[in-house]
Amino acid sequence: MTAARGQALRLPFSRRGTAGRETRPKEFDRPRFLKWFLVAFLVFTLAPIAIVALFSLNSSKSLQHFDGFSLQWYQDFLNDQQLRESLFASLEIATVTMVVATLLGSTLAYGLVRSRTRFSGATNVLMLIPLVTPEIVAGVSALLLFTQLGMQLSLATIMIAQVTFSISYVTVIVRARLSGLGREVEEAAMDLGATRLQTLRLITLPGLWPAIVAAALLVFALSFDDFVLSFFTTGTSPQPLPVRIYSSIRFGVTPTINAIGTLMMLISVTTIVLAIALPRLVGRREDRTPLLGGEV
Amino acid sequence: MTATPAEAGSSTDGTPAILFDGVTKRFGETEAVKDMRIEIRRGEFFSLLGPSGCGKTTTLRMVAGFEQPSDGRIFLEGEPVEAIPPYRRNVNTVFQSYALFEHLNVADNVAFGQQRKKVAKDEIKRNVAEMLELVQLTGREQAKPRELSGGQQQRVALARALINRPAVLLLDEPLGSLDLKLRKQMQVELKEIQREVGITFVYVTHDQEEALSMSDRIAVMHDGHVMQCGVPEDVYERPEEPFVAGFIGISNLVEGTVTDPGTVELASGVSVSAPLPADCRPGDRVRIAVRPEKIAIDQIEPGMVQLEGTVEQRVYLGMTTQITVALGGEARLVALEQNTYRARAEERWEEGHRLTLGWHPEHCLILR
Repeated sequence: MTAARGQALRLPFSRRGTAGRETRPKEFDRPRFLKWFLVAFLVFTLAPIAIVALFSLNSSKSLQHFDGFSLQWYQDFLNDQQLRESLFASLEIATVTMVVATLLGSTLAYGLVRSRTRFSGATNVLMLIPLVTPEIVAGVSALLLFTQLGMQLSLATIMIAQVTFSISYVTVIVRARLSGLGREVEEAAMDLGATRLQTLRLITLPGLWPAIVAAALLVFALSFDDFVLSFFTTGTSPQPLPVRIYSSIRFGVTPTINAIGTLMMLISVTTIVLAIALPRLVGRREDRTPLLGGEV
Repeated sequence: MTATPAEAGSSTDGTPAILFDGVTKRFGETEAVKDMRIEIRRGEFFSLLGPSGCGKTTTLRMVAGFEQPSDGRIFLEGEPVEAIPPYRRNVNTVFQSYALFEHLNVADNVAFGQQRKKVAKDEIKRNVAEMLELVQLTGREQAKPRELSGGQQQRVALARALINRPAVLLLDEPLGSLDLKLRKQMQVELKEIQREVGITFVYVTHDQEEALSMSDRIAVMHDGHVMQCGVPEDVYERPEEPFVAGFIGISNLVEGTVTDPGTVELASGVSVSAPLPADCRPGDRVRIAVRPEKIAIDQIEPGMVQLEGTVEQRVYLGMTTQITVALGGEARLVALEQNTYRARAEERWEEGHRLTLGWHPEHCLILR
């Protein structure tokens, strides 16, 4: 027991110092088969994506045989004006949703945590409803609302629906950080002569910044590849990219779809990576906002 | 750093630093502070002492401006403060959690108050250096609060609050989260710093020893009321209320009835002489309070009140041994014996032994 502990303690140094030599202690408490769970998980999740990415580079039209590398499907995608319009529409929707939802969600979080009204309790619960509502229900009800109001379905309606849906994500993330900051820090600033606005600008916002950035990028990623809500609230032209892909698949899957899918995934992954990395780069080490549940 | 108490209270016209004039604070149905009327003098180290929930922190927050009194008024150096927001009050606070600005380094934390006052840059630099020297943190200017130990963070909080030279410094259990040894050390340092800067300190604590050792005066609070306000010696030696006697130090309270003038018959049937107030009548129910350290065991001196009892419990406390003696009925007395080089009290009295307790009548108090 004591020997094992001693070895474990020495581990970080021995690993660095005597590279190559087998110094790792036996892992008594970590069953080896758990490793295979991880491998299985990675295969199941990554294999389909890898296949899409691989076949987007296929030189033939086949979806079964890989016949060599080519970028022709990316070329096709960029030459297709409708698809291009859809890509820009999706980027536009995601950007607007990100900005508006982050603004509203952050202010809501601030109000919920810092105001002591009797409504904040109820609002805290109400705010969770969009998170648990099945997206299809949200989509249908948004569609009903827009038609009742006589609103023309367009990019604007998608944006409204997505902002409504995304506010909760922002609020949940920012609220957690704000609760962690504690009220006393703001009181200390006021105590030292900072007005409310100065306190917000000099103390609260710098403290919240990592959480706000993370929330914004998460919303961007969610909004960019959202299908269900967009499907119910979109107009005819231009349609957001996921909806556009869905309608074209009905006429048969072309390798272009693979190219689009790969591109979309790259954009989403980039934003998520940024969401995780930026707060760490901007903030200090300790500032790891648990973004996607726990340690990331 | 050279301001003497006289300079700090520059207009020595006797205006108190803080005056609570019938201050009441209600949160919904509950009254956190009830009709508080105390004066805190300039340059004084004043402690608000009481158990948690007694209203001491609420009192502090009202002075700082984070809460408004429901009734009554607070005067800061003679001026009513209710219309002044926290950021314009000439008071600063050391928070229990320190509430340091995590994204700023030590120097910027300390400079924050001066920057808000638009003090010239080079002057701020000078003042920050001076403050950091005062709290012995010179050289740690660039460190972030997280990189400091608890005691160092505490010093930053103190320097940050002192740099604007407030009329009053409020301290909300500032040593609460430090370990015992560091706490003792910081108590001494805080007191020294207070003498050096001459600023009025209002210190909130639930630690009676801390309050006794540091304060010029103490207000003991209970349930929103100020039970007693006075110098440490008075509060300890001459408590006016059973609560004060019980909260500060261990106190023995024994029920009894006044029989003759100057004599009280205890519940156990023994009569003892006691310094009764003039307005006590025979038949009055009173409580006798005696401090454990004033009770002699077996070595009775002439003129002492004497009581017999049985040792019920013996607790070894290191320097002393605490002995609980049953007097018969419900009555119990706690005595403290020093463990000296001559004999460890521990070894002298076994549980179940009979012994005699005694004290000088002037060392006991009559409470009603």
